[in-house]
Amino acid sequence: VTNRFLSHADLAALIAELVAANTRVIAPVRAKDDPEQLDYLPIHSFEEATFGVRLTRRSLKEFFLPPSEVLLRYRQTKDGVEIQEVATEMPPQVILTATPCDAAGLEIVDKVMNWDYRDESWFGRRKATTIVSFLCTTMDATCFCSSVGLGPDTSRGSDLLLVLVEGGYLAQVITPKGEALLQGHGEAEIPASAQAGAEAAQSEARKKVELNLSAIPASFSTWLAKNFDHPAWKTLALRCHGCGACASVCPTCHCFDIVDEHDSCSEGVRRRNWDSCQTTKFTVHASGHNPRASQSERFRQRIEHKFSIYPTRFGEILCTGCGRCSRICPGGMDLPKLVGELIALAQAGPEGSSL
Amino acid sequence: MKELQELARKLLSDGTVNVVIGYEEGPRGARPAFITDPKQADKLIFDTRCVQNLATYLNPRRKQITQLGKAAVVVKGCDARAVAGLIRENQIERANVVIIAMQCSGVLQNPEIDSELTSETVSVRCGGCDVCEPKLYDHYLKLAHTPLQSSPEPPINTQRAEQIAALEKMTPAERWNFWSEHLSRCIRCHACREACPMCFCVQCTAEKSQPLWIDPSATPRANRAWQTMRVLHQAGRCVDCLECERACPEHIPLGLLARYVADAVDRRFEYKACDDSSVPAPLGVYRTDDDEEFIR
Repeated sequence: VTNRFLSHADLAALIAELVAANTRVIAPVRAKDDPEQLDYLPIHSFEEATFGVRLTRRSLKEFFLPPSEVLLRYRQTKDGVEIQEVATEMPPQVILTATPCDAAGLEIVDKVMNWDYRDESWFGRRKATTIVSFLCTTMDATCFCSSVGLGPDTSRGSDLLLVLVEGGYLAQVITPKGEALLQGHGEAEIPASAQAGAEAAQSEARKKVELNLSAIPASFSTWLAKNFDHPAWKTLALRCHGCGACASVCPTCHCFDIVDEHDSCSEGVRRRNWDSCQTTKFTVHASGHNPRASQSERFRQRIEHKFSIYPTRFGEILCTGCGRCSRICPGGMDLPKLVGELIALAQAGPEGSSL
Repeated sequence: MKELQELARKLLSDGTVNVVIGYEEGPRGARPAFITDPKQADKLIFDTRCVQNLATYLNPRRKQITQLGKAAVVVKGCDARAVAGLIRENQIERANVVIIAMQCSGVLQNPEIDSELTSETVSVRCGGCDVCEPKLYDHYLKLAHTPLQSSPEPPINTQRAEQIAALEKMTPAERWNFWSEHLSRCIRCHACREACPMCFCVQCTAEKSQPLWIDPSATPRANRAWQTMRVLHQAGRCVDCLECERACPEHIPLGLLARYVADAVDRRFEYKACDDSSVPAPLGVYRTDDDEEFIR
């Protein structure tokens, strides 16, 4: 696969072509309620996209696992129940100038979506989507992508990675899907200055985020599994309200609840809705007993799932280090700092010598 | 600040309380702090970045806090109304909480940027504040940095009043569209409820499944039903602390919705959420001289 060079006009033309073909193009744009903030929203022209400014408020998750999604419709008839399945083949869509960590998050979640059951809705959207990422240079003190094995220029989950260079963009082609998108756009010949500029920008971006939190040691996962009853859990989440806003904005939190909702006595829909282990009712039993009685246990679950259970089962951390959970938290919980504290505890303890 | 730290140290050392709920330096402004060790009392701060309503941690649903034992809580005058609300509604006992009230001249709308408090930077909820001088407290600490100021009133901010006036001016259809558009973004995560100091129901109507009162999925109809129910249940109870709005991942102006209803309660019942727990709230009282003209 060869990389390509795109001028600003080339990129604008590519978007115009996609829009003309009725392909849904999603990009970061100024939020309607707050022009300081960005949201991923459908765009109709290149001018609408606002990238390289800051991280969007929410991740790309909602375009693959919508907050609420119809799984099937049902109708009771004289002879039984008629089931009408929903289509899992989706129309093509392009996500433009995504933050690389958001694209990587999708690839991380792919593993659970193809584990004991293949989630056709998820993969239908994954297959229909081409993701064009944009080198992240807007990291702040809450970002820690490099400590979970990613980086501001990670190519995981992306089909193309754009890097802003003099006169345009260097498009790094990651997948055949990305190559197909660029067909007939830009130049195969890359100016030497663009190549060097891109390399310098990537290296600078990596250095910037690496200052925030060191790489999470692989053995942290084992320490977490062994220290389920560590006294630290009692005090780590005192300020947590259990509102679950962290899970909503998280690119990798993927838990859902399935409900049947009746439209009439004989008809209805089965939907799945986002759910979060941070809320009280997530684990409450029919008896009324709740094995995760307080927020301390619920927060422990969040950390254990992301940094121990998922790595044990799927070989990678269920976190992209985007820091959105910390930014949204009304109680001021700060994930990179908490993880840093836990790692320090692990390293100080007798079992921690291996860390 | 020193005064606050010394008081906290004393309350913890002499065993009056087991935990002092206050503010500390956080990664993006001030954040809630839970001091159990008198040696840690120096962490406590109070300034214009202290936006959170710490009374929310007295809500009995915060089991991780109730487990710590008796608490002292740092409140602004506006937050004291939530403490009064929890006492009024029998969620906590007055004798079981030590209230440290701070004189306050307003907090920042965006506490991440430590800027001067001006009409532009002050929180929308501080406009028209009448509780700069709290009345419900065990200890009252005056602002050290405004000793000459006779009244600690916040800078004038009319943004909220203007938003309300704009809503009032709308036709019912326009207002319906305004809220429908905002509420269409709701994803029914219920973060607003979980972060709220006054949402303490053990079983929320939104989770009743037999019968199912409100569809749990995020559809325009169910979102409207959920947010309407919540805001009506908050009528005369909401203390306008904006914890709901801060928690909302979809950034729905829930504070505006609640304030709109609070203003209606004030007009109809001459009642504002206040820091006197002996004053009954309209939703919690039956009066034989009630007009009930709406029912005719």
